[in-house]
Amino acid sequence: MHRDIFKAIADPTRREIINLIAHESMNLNAVADKFNMSRPAVSKHIKILTECGLLVIKQQGRERFCKADLRQLKEVTDWAGQYRRFWTKKLDALDAFLIHEQQSTDHTNPKNEE
Amino acid sequence: MSTQPFVIERIYNASAQAVWEAITDNAKMKQWYFDILDFKPIVGFEFTFTGQNEGKTFVHLCTVTEVIEGSKLSHTWRYDGYEGNSEVTWELFPQGDKTRVVLTHTGLETFPPLKDFMKENFDAGWTEILGNLLRNYVEKQAAQ
Repeated sequence: MHRDIFKAIADPTRREIINLIAHESMNLNAVADKFNMSRPAVSKHIKILTECGLLVIKQQGRERFCKADLRQLKEVTDWAGQYRRFWTKKLDALDAFLIHEQQSTDHTNPKNEE
Repeated sequence: MSTQPFVIERIYNASAQAVWEAITDNAKMKQWYFDILDFKPIVGFEFTFTGQNEGKTFVHLCTVTEVIEGSKLSHTWRYDGYEGNSEVTWELFPQGDKTRVVLTHTGLETFPPLKDFMKENFDAGWTEILGNLLRNYVEKQAAQ
């Protein structure tokens, strides 16, 4: 079953796990050690994150590593949004500049005066 | 990562010439865009400026790649100290006494998406998730 991603990240422990492994993969035991709770409890959270595709476990030799797969989050976070906000702000500023420039031209140019 | 270019369009109540000057005349650019030490709309011209992107300062390194006087300006756009390179293109289309501006920013996917400078966005994403999406979800559930 494909778990609901919103439910998966609604839990603070699971968000904490995602933050831990967002930038680098970590040994499963090392992840569990970060939390003041039982291994099975952490495992349960990891299982939920795995089921919704936010976390991927890879076997490397005798160790198991997990890493966040944030493509799932992209559905809701769309990182291009940063540039959208940036360019929207800049294009607004350009509009304000052009209006201001137009007004000063009208003001100093007698033929445009009523 | 998506390789779709980022495109944004606006119609300005100004002549194409006025818009062209606003995006290529350094004295005018300073008033709304960035404080660039020197800028010339000439292919191969390199310029740099410091920009704030969501609270963090980045040194932008750019090289003009295409100039069609009055209608098109392209330049590369990368961040000092980070991998990846992108390209920004301004295109101006006169529409009567107005001007349609199409801004295209390609190559965003070449930036390391989850390293330091995208972290801001990552955090913003969480804010969005937790602030709105999650609340909407929870309220929708509660209403059922």
